[in-house]
Amino acid sequence: MIKTVAKPSERKVTGCGECRSTCQSACKTSCTVGNQSCERITREQNPEKVK
Amino acid sequence: MVHAFACMGKNYIYDSGSGSLHECDEKTKNYVAAKYEGCGDISAFSENEISEMEKDLEGLKKEGLFLAEEVSVYPPKPSEVKALCLHICHDCNLRCRYCFADEGAYHSAREFMSEETAKAAIDFLIKNSGNRKVLEVDFFGGEPLMCLPTIKKVVAYARERSAAAGKKFLFTTTTNALLLDDDAIDFFNREMENVVLSIDGRKEVHDAIRKTVNGKGSFDLVIDKIKKFVRSRGDKSYYVRGTFTSRNLDFSKDVIFLAENGFDSISMEPVVTDIPDLAIGEEHLPAINAEYETLLARYLDKYDRGEGFNFFHFNVDLEGGVCLQKKVSACGAGNEYFSVVPNGDIYPCHQFAGDKNFLMGSVFGGELNAQIRSKFAESCLFTRQGCENCFAKFICSGGCAANNYRYEGDINKPYKITCSMMKKRIECGMHALAHKKEREKG
Repeated sequence: MIKTVAKPSERKVTGCGECRSTCQSACKTSCTVGNQSCERITREQNPEKVK
Repeated sequence: MVHAFACMGKNYIYDSGSGSLHECDEKTKNYVAAKYEGCGDISAFSENEISEMEKDLEGLKKEGLFLAEEVSVYPPKPSEVKALCLHICHDCNLRCRYCFADEGAYHSAREFMSEETAKAAIDFLIKNSGNRKVLEVDFFGGEPLMCLPTIKKVVAYARERSAAAGKKFLFTTTTNALLLDDDAIDFFNREMENVVLSIDGRKEVHDAIRKTVNGKGSFDLVIDKIKKFVRSRGDKSYYVRGTFTSRNLDFSKDVIFLAENGFDSISMEPVVTDIPDLAIGEEHLPAINAEYETLLARYLDKYDRGEGFNFFHFNVDLEGGVCLQKKVSACGAGNEYFSVVPNGDIYPCHQFAGDKNFLMGSVFGGELNAQIRSKFAESCLFTRQGCENCFAKFICSGGCAANNYRYEGDINKPYKITCSMMKKRIECGMHALAHKKEREKG
């Protein structure tokens, strides 16, 4: 039995540079890109939350 | 490559090439671990069992979700500067023993950044930002609230300059909250995209390390201020951020303490120190990794009861995470992100501040040291030693360059203790993701 839990969204753009700087998120000692989300996808999914 | 693992009684397969996560039964997990990771005995499975499992795996493979080809080419990095850490002061009103910054002084004289230097840093950022529209500045110390008047002037200056330059600034402040009064709260809520507030959890844990200049614990001086700030914050970002040491390996209690005190955005970080009675060593890893599972159980229990909170290190966004270029190029320190210390000198990041081997230039002019910048620009997942055979590589991108240098002497040599904790947190984060998705389905 195997079921897929999650797979990446299809992307039209990569390397746009809009993502937050990794080290500004929370910890300043062990932040990693894996704890970040894509700003573009976040904005597209939550347009009302983005100025 | 693939990684088969169990977490909280569930079994998973993670495919790093595609970035997909699958839940499976224990037999399939063991089979994948044995055949594709070399962990276990393949002869333990019958031909029929293998045939059935391979059929399922083949189906995933056809969809590109199992043994997917991994990129091994390094995409070109942008050369624009996108973020600065402004060390607005190298002084602090606390004397925390574990402070990597020498209790705020960075192994040098205690000093404050002048308004002129801070404005020059803003000019430097705008000038070197190329086509980037969104720029980031975080106010760091020491304790930034000791310099709130300067911060206000710098923010106003950046807003004015950004309007003319067609840029947008996002600001962050990291504070110990000792001087967090109504004026600071109003200012933060108006101007700061994110605020990071340092508190270690339970009073006795916090007070054992985070002491005032007079040597007294600071918990009672900050807890109500942080609560007041968070109540006023609305839906804007913040983190209460703690540090755990070898003295509180039961740090899940500190995270839950913070959650039960009304904080819903929490980070708890392993200490970065060489102080023998606080440092984390290899001998602590079994307890720490077990503690992450303990925390995960409490975290998901609260989620199920509608009391969920955001724990930074359990955020593993497999569906909307950062793109491949970011995954490969890591945090950007020394190339697109720099630290500026009070006299205007530039370093790759705050953890290199004051190390003259990494002095890159000054906001007052001249070129950045091309040799150092090139070393950081070229440092990426594919230059990090040993990462090629690790399932976590596209999530951690080879770890923190500063930690690697501090403990292994090379920004490209991952620090093995961090690696161990990172892998455990990733497994926990993946289980949390699966658990939440299951609950959402009802």
